Amino acid sequence: MTLTWLGRAALYLCALGALGGVVDQARALRRRRPGHARRFAVVALVGIVLAIAVMQYALITHNFSLAYVAENNATFTPLLYSITGMWSALEGSLLLWVLLQSALIAAVAWYYRRQRDDAVVQWASLVLFGVQAFFTLLMVGPADPFLRNAARVVQGAGPNALLQDNPLVAAHPPLLYAGFVGFSVPFAFAVAMLITGRVHEHWPLEQRRWSVLAWGALSVGVVLGAWWSYEVLGWGGFWGWDPVENAALLPWLTATAYVHSVIVQDRRGLFRVWNLSLAVATFALTVLGTFFTRSGVLVSVHAFSSSTLGPLLIGFFFFVVVLGVGLLAWRGDRLRAPVGVDHPLSREGLFVANNIIFVGFAIVVLLGTVFPLLYQAINGSQVTVGTPYFASIAAPLAVVLLALMAIAPLVSWRSADPKVLWGRLRTSAWVALAAVVVLLLAHVTRYPELVAVFLSVMAAGAALRTLRGVLVSARRRGSWRGALRAPSTGGMVVHLGIVVLALGIVTSTTYAKRHEVTLASGQTTVVDGQRVGFYGFAHVRSALLSATELKVRVDGHSLRPAVTTYHGRNGQTVGTPAIDSTLLRDVYVTFDAVGGTGLASGAQIQSQLPVGSVVLGVTVEPLLAWLWIGGLMVGAGAALSFVRRRHVEEAP
Amino acid sequence: MKRSVLALSLAVLVVVTAMSLLLATRHPITNATQTQSPLLGHRAPSMKGPELGGGSFSLAAQRGQVVVVNFWASWCGPCRVEAPELSTFAWHERTRGVELVGVVFNDSLSAAASFAKHYGSLYPSLVDQGGVFANRFGVTSPPTTFVIDRHGRVAATLIGPTSARQLEAVVARVRS
Repeated sequence: MTLTWLGRAALYLCALGALGGVVDQARALRRRRPGHARRFAVVALVGIVLAIAVMQYALITHNFSLAYVAENNATFTPLLYSITGMWSALEGSLLLWVLLQSALIAAVAWYYRRQRDDAVVQWASLVLFGVQAFFTLLMVGPADPFLRNAARVVQGAGPNALLQDNPLVAAHPPLLYAGFVGFSVPFAFAVAMLITGRVHEHWPLEQRRWSVLAWGALSVGVVLGAWWSYEVLGWGGFWGWDPVENAALLPWLTATAYVHSVIVQDRRGLFRVWNLSLAVATFALTVLGTFFTRSGVLVSVHAFSSSTLGPLLIGFFFFVVVLGVGLLAWRGDRLRAPVGVDHPLSREGLFVANNIIFVGFAIVVLLGTVFPLLYQAINGSQVTVGTPYFASIAAPLAVVLLALMAIAPLVSWRSADPKVLWGRLRTSAWVALAAVVVLLLAHVTRYPELVAVFLSVMAAGAALRTLRGVLVSARRRGSWRGALRAPSTGGMVVHLGIVVLALGIVTSTTYAKRHEVTLASGQTTVVDGQRVGFYGFAHVRSALLSATELKVRVDGHSLRPAVTTYHGRNGQTVGTPAIDSTLLRDVYVTFDAVGGTGLASGAQIQSQLPVGSVVLGVTVEPLLAWLWIGGLMVGAGAALSFVRRRHVEEAP
Repeated sequence: MKRSVLALSLAVLVVVTAMSLLLATRHPITNATQTQSPLLGHRAPSMKGPELGGGSFSLAAQRGQVVVVNFWASWCGPCRVEAPELSTFAWHERTRGVELVGVVFNDSLSAAASFAKHYGSLYPSLVDQGGVFANRFGVTSPPTTFVIDRHGRVAATLIGPTSARQLEAVVARVRS
């Protein structure tokens, strides 16, 4: 009872801060005086922190007087999953969402504290407080996390089984939300710039810094999500073009286009309106992604997060688009850059190509995601758009993007001399060719792999050449810290990370081999060069779960694939894969079926097999671990890009 | 060329408006799963008792009708999702020989009554003192829904939040 009122009071305080911020900024704009953004941001932040404290207290102490806790926690839920239980379902994850949004607004208010009388900052703060108010009011209204539970609940339902069997649940959702929330800043400033008409000042490049922060969080969040599904779901894959995965990919694509094209605006003053459009599109797509995740209108592996908020979220999306696009329609033509791109073979020309591909890719993914709904609305029958559609478009686009990464960083601005360019490309082209020849001699003949290796080596060459330039000039100045903050360092580290990631994806998917082997206890076999042995069952019982593990050895390493039943009402029986991972290859082992009567393990029973034998799924995927390494490199590069210096023309 | 941003923006607005309308009018796909329960094909357990807000209900008196029995609780999240769907279903099927009845599962009467009022439920709900009906039907967690055919036999068991569309499909199958 008290928890309900404490939590709600804290939420009201947060809503008060957000709404007060909106009113305060509007009044400041009307009277042309400084606003009090910091004060209202702090009020809202304190409110949401208190609300989260109440929720965490209830979760950690298993206090079932809150309906949310009774639904997503149980007396036997361990501490880590009690804490992460806050984002196991919609109402609680809104708390996390608003916390991140509030912290971001407080940071923006602090960062621009000396410009709080500037109309651009005031309009942007107004928009940000508005976004914060919307998400806070969702919790005050239809998605109340502090709803009281009248019934006496003894044990609680516990979190969804898939949300309590891997610690990545603590990292993936918060990073993803941080990415989504982060794009509200470039959107807010885009709106502010459009309203005030001041697009030619320093604002766009500063927005790049905020965007890179969000972009980095989203990138790492998406990679961690892929890692999580690889570790947990048991099919050996990491990306399935699920609507909710697409929901995260869509803003990532437009944001990637944005962080590239803003550089052109900084250096050449072009693409002003285009950049604003990308900022608007990115934020709108984060809202649309939230709709896809929370409305339940699309079939998805993330079905546990569906809710009744669909109409509100799509309404908010519509409002965001109307606001952004309406302003663009009103102001766009007057704010355009007076000049265009001089020559297609120039840095800015290749940035145009980059933008066309990223935005085109986003449109294709959006179309594929929405198509089943469109088809159903017209024909009344169900249709699914699966991996073949997405993959057949993603593969050629990825090839072009790798090629652009190989060339664009070495092309001069304005107009490039092909001879000079070839001089810069020559070394990496020969190395790439040599790598392909070596692979061919080693009987690696599949052409996707060969194309990927050739382009990746060249792209890495371009990035390394740029980084070498940075180091040389840093040594000349004697400042190594300067090298870290140089304009191109972060970006090129990201490029290297993407190259590593691309090689991991192409190699592991091209050469993945899945086998099913049936083994009796004590038997070993050789699968794809890996010695796999089965040495009996182990039964694990705890308050949280009961599991039947298989004692398996792969090349001398002990693995325990299992079938696990989580207790509690939301608990269910899930397969738990085991992975032997080295830098060269992953061996992914799943417990697929058991022979005879099944030993009551929860695994699928195949009665024609002898009692005590098991069917193991063994998937060997070369170089898969490099996906995660590449993802971390991308995150590191984004961090470097965040602290980057502005490009200044060197004195002659 | 001169007004191209304006033209393009307006085109984008039209497309987005159409898309938003399409998305706003879609219904959630619910994930109630039809399961094999030991009751399938057998005579439904008897159920007779007071309704929430007065009146009484007897399952035996409904023989000749298809009866949908839905166990719910005010503290159950998925029940909040399906409550409006159930009302839609009850309203559509009210003249077609289908009766929908709720059973309150492990909940206080005041909380259950305010839940039914909040969602304007268009179907009666039975009070289940001591969880007797829940035990007879083997219900361990709400929402669980049973479809009982005209002869009083259990024809389908649905676990999880269901939708009007799903129930209509199940009932059509049971009727034929």
